[in-house]
Amino acid sequence: MKISSFFLGATAACVLGVALPPRAAAMISDEDFNALKSMVTNQDQRIGQLEKSHEQDQQTHEQDQQTIQQLQQRLGETQTLATNAAQKADAAAKIQPIKPIPSGVMSALHNFTLAGDAEVQFGKSQGQHSTFALADFAPIFLFRANDNVLFEAGFDVTLQNNTDQNGNRAAGSSTAVNLSFAQLDYLYNDYVTLVAGDMLLPLGTYSERSAGWLNKIPDDPLVRDLLPGSGVGAQLRGAVPIGQSGQSLTYSIYGANGPSSSSTNGTANASDLDLGGNVGDTPNWHANPSGGGRIGWFYPWKPHYDIELGVSGQSGEWSDSGNRLWSAAVVDAAVHISPYFEVKGEYINTWVQTDDTGTIHPNGGWVQAGYKLAGLNLDLPVVNDIELVSRYDAMNDNLGTKTDRITAGFVYYLTNTLLFEGDYEWLHSRGPAALPSNEFVVQLSYGF
Amino acid sequence: MRSTLINKRRVVLAGALALACVCLSVVLAHAEPEKKTDQKTAPKKLTGAELYAINCNRCHPERYATEFTSAQWQTIITHMRVRANLPAAQAKEILKFLKEDAGN
Repeated sequence: MKISSFFLGATAACVLGVALPPRAAAMISDEDFNALKSMVTNQDQRIGQLEKSHEQDQQTHEQDQQTIQQLQQRLGETQTLATNAAQKADAAAKIQPIKPIPSGVMSALHNFTLAGDAEVQFGKSQGQHSTFALADFAPIFLFRANDNVLFEAGFDVTLQNNTDQNGNRAAGSSTAVNLSFAQLDYLYNDYVTLVAGDMLLPLGTYSERSAGWLNKIPDDPLVRDLLPGSGVGAQLRGAVPIGQSGQSLTYSIYGANGPSSSSTNGTANASDLDLGGNVGDTPNWHANPSGGGRIGWFYPWKPHYDIELGVSGQSGEWSDSGNRLWSAAVVDAAVHISPYFEVKGEYINTWVQTDDTGTIHPNGGWVQAGYKLAGLNLDLPVVNDIELVSRYDAMNDNLGTKTDRITAGFVYYLTNTLLFEGDYEWLHSRGPAALPSNEFVVQLSYGF
Repeated sequence: MRSTLINKRRVVLAGALALACVCLSVVLAHAEPEKKTDQKTAPKKLTGAELYAINCNRCHPERYATEFTSAQWQTIITHMRVRANLPAAQAKEILKFLKEDAGN
């Protein structure tokens, strides 16, 4: 079959012709070669850079791995510490406190507050030069430990001219710091409070209610010099309400070291009486303490209309030998009629047994009235803030000196706690211990 | 001399008694007549504001509630309860009243 062979051969040739690529152009230009060469070179460089970069990445990765391992180790340590702390806290919570904290208490129990007052005066006594004086800086420290415990202390800081040992003028000035009171108050229940320390004594009400900015006349009643203002001891005090009208009965009962003799040879002459000594840094100057107390009745028939009456006293030894007694009795009263008018006063009688003059009875009293001009309803800006005050006080030391004084003055309320006061005093004193007569004083007083 | 002293004492005593009588008469003049209360009606309890007005102006000008924080008021009222011998229940009502408008 020749034809089939021919066709087979032709077909094979066609297949081969199709399968085998046609022979390409034998030649490539120099430009193309160089371009290709350049491209290969660039690719080679690029591959080299990539290889370097890869190596760096590998190194960074290894460092990161190390850092991760370190952090994991620290995390493990921190978790261990936290677990230990939690275990300690659990253990501490299981320890019972001596006095469990009351449930429901959210606010802090302790609180420190500073209160007090300060007075600056300008005044002139007859026969003396006028002068400015820092009359008093009297801070009161209040530290409340909880609802039932309070520690309070008050100081009087004053400036005074120096004197020598004979009482004559000397150069310079000095600062005197006196502790007016320092007492611990324990409010045992609604009716009984225990007070202990250097206490303001409840003989009358003046000692407890006579801070500088409360006392509308710059100086104290003369007769208060017959009484100790404070004493070291212990006291129970409280108040019992009567009905729902605000009426109450108050009581105070205390024991204190009491007055003593300033004599170094044990005498108890009238001039030896020391009301401010015997504070306990040495054994009691005499064998037994003094005792005293006050009972008071307060009745308000409506706000700003009230009356208070009180009776108080103290008695005890004052001589070293214990054979001389010092006693005091005080009657006090205060009345408020409307927000504008008040009158108050005290009568004080004392009995002092002495070695040289027998039993003497220093005594006296004071009565003070005040009227706020706002009660006139004049609606005048300055007038409404003025209160007129007046006081009559008298004292007889029962050793020949009698003094009586009339004081007329005013209080201008710059604010509720900043007071400008002024008064003129007509003083009549005769006897061996007569006081200087007539003086005027103006005072700026601030309560804080 | 002794008779003069006695006379002066009598004058002072008479003056004191007269002053006491004047005060008492003023007190009685301003006292409201006693109301006949229904036995079933209990006396009205005074509010903190009323107790504050009764007690806190007797000795000093009133202090405003905003002058102190709540914690400071608690300390101050504790101090005043001791110093002024306030009944405990009244002191607590006054404290509650002051705390309502205490400063920050």
